[in-house]
This record gives sequence, C-alpha cells and structure tokens, in this order.
Amino acid sequence: MLRVEGIEAGYGGLPVLKELTLAIERNEAVALIGANGAGKSTLVRAICGLLPLAAGRILQDGREIQRLPAHERTRHGIAVVLEARHLFGELTVRNNLELAAAHGERHGTAQRKFHLDDVIELFPFLRTRLDAAVQLLSGGEQQMVAIARALLLQPELLILDEPSTGLSPKVVREIVGALATLRSGGMSILLVEQNVALAVETADRAYVMALGAIVRELDAAAWKSVLGDETLLQAYLGS
Amino acid sequence: MNGTLLLQSVIVGITNGFVYALVGLGIAVVFRGTRIINAMQGEFSLVGGLVAFVVVEQLGWPLGVAAVSGVLAGGVVGFAMEWLLVRPTRRRGVGEESYLLLTLGVAFAISAAVLYFIGRDTRSLPGIGGEGSALVFDAAIRHHAIWLVVLSSAVMLLLRLFYDRTRIGLSMMAASIDEEGAATIGINVPLMRSLSFLLGGLVGGLAGVLVSPLVTIHYEMGLLLTLKGFAAAILGGLLNPFGAVVGGVTLGLIESLAVLSVSSGYKDVVAMTLLIVIMIILPNGILGRGSRKGG
Repeated sequence: MLRVEGIEAGYGGLPVLKELTLAIERNEAVALIGANGAGKSTLVRAICGLLPLAAGRILQDGREIQRLPAHERTRHGIAVVLEARHLFGELTVRNNLELAAAHGERHGTAQRKFHLDDVIELFPFLRTRLDAAVQLLSGGEQQMVAIARALLLQPELLILDEPSTGLSPKVVREIVGALATLRSGGMSILLVEQNVALAVETADRAYVMALGAIVRELDAAAWKSVLGDETLLQAYLGS
Repeated sequence: MNGTLLLQSVIVGITNGFVYALVGLGIAVVFRGTRIINAMQGEFSLVGGLVAFVVVEQLGWPLGVAAVSGVLAGGVVGFAMEWLLVRPTRRRGVGEESYLLLTLGVAFAISAAVLYFIGRDTRSLPGIGGEGSALVFDAAIRHHAIWLVVLSSAVMLLLRLFYDRTRIGLSMMAASIDEEGAATIGINVPLMRSLSFLLGGLVGGLAGVLVSPLVTIHYEMGLLLTLKGFAAAILGGLLNPFGAVVGGVTLGLIESLAVLSVSSGYKDVVAMTLLIVIMIILPNGILGRGSRKGG
C-alpha cells in the first residue's frame, strides 16, 4: 500500500533521514518506535508532504507521490495526525470536522466511509462539544478531534504521530480503544509511538528507528514479545 | 454648540468612518487570511478609483460599469501582488516584518507611478445617486454618503457570512490559523492566501470607488487611506472584520467632532491621541479579548 524507498530528508541542509525504507500493506497496523530524536516525526512529515525529500521515492498504491504538495497527498488515501495536532483552535469542533469532511467527500478513497455520526460514535464526547471552540478543549479531547478529523478525510492509511503524548491514562485507553475499533474495520495504521507497551496493543509488527534510519524490523512474533526484549529496549529506546 | 452643526459633524464622521472601515476591513481580510500586515491596502483604493474614473470620464461608460471595473481592478492588483511578490518572498522563508516592508515598498511604487504617469492633478467620480443631498433635521447628507454607508454595511455583512458559513471562507481562516494543519486536510494553502489578497483587493477597490466622489483621487490618497484604515482595523481588533467597522466609525466621529472644538488642522492630532489612549485602556481593541484571536 505505502512504500517508502530510500528516502533522504532533513532541515536546512542537515540530513535527518538516511536512505530510509519501509512498507505498510493494506489492512495492516505497523508501529514505528524509537528514542527521542530518532527521526520518527521527520519521517511522518516527509510522508505527508510537509518536508521535501532530497532523495528516494514514496509510493501509495504504486503511484509516486513524493513530488505532490501536502494537500494533494490526502487525495491518495493518506491522513495524518501530527504530533502537535495542528487543529484550528479558533474555529469550532464542527468547523474543524466539516472542513475535513468536505475534502473527504470529494477526494476520499476509503472503502468504508466515515460520517460525522460515525466519529461521534467513536468519540461520544464530540456530541456535546461540536459548537465549542477547539482551543477550549482539553488536550485529550483535542487529540480525539484530530483523529476524528483525519478519519473524515476518508483515508485508507491513518498515520498517527505520538498520539499518547501528554495525555492521561484514561484518555490514552480511550484512544487505544478507538484504534482497535478502526483496526477491526480494516483501517491501515502507521503508529509512531515511544510508548512501546501501547504500540504493541495496536500494531501487528514494527520498525525500530535510530539516527534517521530503520535499524530493526520486527515481525509479528518478535513484536509481540518485544516487551520482554530488554536488550532491544535498552539499545534503541533507552528504557 | 449649535445642534445642527453637531448633527452635521456626526453625519460627516459616520460617512468618513465607513470609508476608514472599508479600508480597515480590507486590511483585516488580508491579515485574517495571511497574517500579513498589508501596507498597500490604500493603493488598491487608489487603483480602483482611478480605473473607475477612466471608465466613466474617458470612455464615457455608465457609472455602474465604472464601479464594477474599479472594484475588479483592486482585486486584480491584490491577486497579482500575492502571486508575483508575496509568494516568491514567502518561499525564501522571510520573517513577518519583511512583508510589511514589501507591501510598503509597493505602495510607494504605485503612488510614484501614478504621479509619473498621471501627475499631481486631482480627479473625482460622480456620486452614486447624483450630487443631491437629503436633509436630516437641518443637517445635509449627500445621497452618495447614504449609498456609501448602505453598500459598505452590505459588504461587511456578506463578508461575515462568507467567513462563517462558506467552505471557502472557513478554509481561508483555517489556512491562516494553521498552515500545516490545513495542508494535511487537503486545503490548498497558497491558493487560500492568493484569495485573501484578491478579496482584500476587491474590498480596497470598492473603497476607492465609494470614496472618490467624496475626496479627490490623488497620487497620495492610498497612503493616507492605509493609515486611517490601519488605525480603524487596530482600534476594532485586527482579526475581526466587524471590528474595523466599529474602529472606523469611532475614528471618523472623533476626527469630525475634534474639528468642532479645535482647528481642522489639528483633527488628526486629536484623533490619533485619543486612539492611543483607547489602545492603552483597551489593548485588544474596542471589541475586546476575542477580537485579537479572531474566529
């Protein structure tokens, strides 16, 4: 579905990603783990078009998308929830969701279509907060709005960058539950997460990143037992 | 103080205030969509007024056609400004202050071009509704001034609806609030910026068409209007289009009433001093806290 082939990218001429290659198949959930500064968020920005590539290719369903601007990549079935969420704080929850829904209606590629009612079912608090300004919501609520907004783009692949950062355990459980629901519906997910225990619950397999490159690929069996692999956790995650 | 004189001053103040409001509204529209302080907003009015003048006086076409041409000319200049200068500048990753310098530079260039090609002569458009006046008690109000207030109010209301109710208006807001967030939900951010300048240019062109029957079209007109419009926008709250109306009318009334108590030569001094006092007391503008945040 998504293939990242030998990409290189960075900031101000300084390379961060180095000949990085990974692939995500349809109906698969893949985790991307690594310590702070490994380049995980840089990779997300490169995939969704916010960071230009110096080299390499990104293919979505066989079509090269690395030259497309960010706003056109959503037409190829990719939706992203960035680490800082990037919601429109001064607008209402409804405005945030409707803007995405309008785009998703025209360009979405997903088999299963998400409507406003579907995301409200996934995150019930939305029902009473639709007309609230996003900037008045808690961090956890904003994260759920960000995920709901991404779903309304009708993506085939949902990329989440550190969705649990700074959130209470209760909210994190709610988000993990929502991701499980999405998985059961066949959504492909790339989950970028430092919290390995959390990632194990959602992903089928994983890539380990360090210093801007993929240093380990964990198949389903290795991934399910990763929490017992102290050597790997110490070496790449410092935990 | 004579009651009729006071009423006349209030009418003049409100009329001028709506002109400032329209220019301020254009500044707010561009700022709302791009976070750029556009120092050439008054030049859109200068171009709009000049084009309307050429169409009505040189070509002899009807005033309605001239007005539409003037408004469109403002829009074209706005769009071209973004496309040809702001966008390439943005690609170089410059700071916000650079845009102020850029738009100020273009404002002086347009003013100089008008001086060079058209000269120092002043020109004016015929008023909408003729040159007659209506009497309010004993105070006179030009028919054109009534049209100015009505048309300006309609434009402001339409803009409000545009931002609140239309997808494109919301997209323009979203693109200015969070560029990356907008891009990742499929909004073409550069296009939204161009549209903001186009819209600002159309509003500026309209201001030029409406102000030209009241004050003469002159090569320095743009810079003066920008200054007053900017004061109106800041006074009302830069991100709130309705704020520009409140700010513009407040400024117009202060100026007009100042003339009653001091010499007309000091009206700007009195007006600007009062503005400074208001901004110290209400730093977020007259419409308060929310106005700076927009939405």
